[in-house]
Amino acid sequence: MAACTTQFEREYAEAERWRAAAAAAGHEWIETSRLLEQAEATADAGNMDVAFELLGKARFQAEAAVRQAEREAEAWRVRVIK
Amino acid sequence: MNKTAVMLTSILATSLAQPAAIAGPEEDRAAFVRYFQSRFPDVEFDEFANGIYAIDADSRRQWLEIEEFPPYEFAIEQGESEWQQTFANGRTFADCFAQPSDSIRAMYPRYEEARGEVVTLEIALNDCRAANDEEPYAYDAEELIDLTAFLAFEARGKAVAVRIPADQPGAIAAYEDGKRFYYSKRGQLNFACSDCHITSVGQRVRADRLGPSLGHTTHFPVYRSKLGGMIGLQQRFLGCIRDVRAKPFELQSTEYRNLEFFLAYMSNGLMINGPGARK
Repeated sequence: MAACTTQFEREYAEAERWRAAAAAAGHEWIETSRLLEQAEATADAGNMDVAFELLGKARFQAEAAVRQAEREAEAWRVRVIK
Repeated sequence: MNKTAVMLTSILATSLAQPAAIAGPEEDRAAFVRYFQSRFPDVEFDEFANGIYAIDADSRRQWLEIEEFPPYEFAIEQGESEWQQTFANGRTFADCFAQPSDSIRAMYPRYEEARGEVVTLEIALNDCRAANDEEPYAYDAEELIDLTAFLAFEARGKAVAVRIPADQPGAIAAYEDGKRFYYSKRGQLNFACSDCHITSVGQRVRADRLGPSLGHTTHFPVYRSKLGGMIGLQQRFLGCIRDVRAKPFELQSTEYRNLEFFLAYMSNGLMINGPGARK
């Protein structure tokens, strides 16, 4: 149980870093923070399977948002009306 | 340095290193107008100030009926009352502005070099309150929206005339930032403002048709039937950003002020016709 909690904390911290990176780039998605909160609450309640599932979704969204920011750093230019 | 930090540094470095877009604001605006005029050749330039009602006949008919008893009239009356209120120190809003009430709406948004940022009408009104030791309004406060409704009504017929002086690099940077925001995809749905309001203009999203960005800023604030009340332009930004499942920015954030600056410039030459009425 303790090992599971430690792993959760490690993965939570990583997901939160991705979320913060997306936010810093101005591209945070609307659900990511809520998913992290839900994951934390679910872990606190002892339902680790669901907690990890929620954490996975949060991490996926946060990382996708960061990739979006990386793409859009230049991609927006092709849409400008000329 | 871990992978996340390396990636973040890369994103920030890329953003800071971006060269300015090749065309200047006036070239952008001319291309913007040409695009919408070519998409809707039967619509006169001035009509684009009416947004979706310029390109959708059914909506226009409904709107003209609504305009017989405009739902925003109460906001105008309340706004006029707010405008005339006396602060505790005996001064009024009018004392903060050198111009008469019919010339104030057209002054904003504008880039103020001394402050290094875009100043909107809402910011200016709150600055006035603060200068007179009054509590600034929340940016979604009814009183503030009513004030902007009154000032928009007073300014009807005045042209949008946003200036971007060539000798103010800060103004150009704010414009370019707003332009980048407008054309950047964001959110879980991966939409840019341009996807709906340029590429898909006139197409349907559920029961609504997507309006053109040319003229987007002229008619705000608007009475929204679905909300039963008034909203400002930046509240509409917030709603759109939320609708594409991106985390919205704060009202009057740098992002939204620069976006307003860009969109207002694109509508230069159109007549202010707020407040408006929308679904």
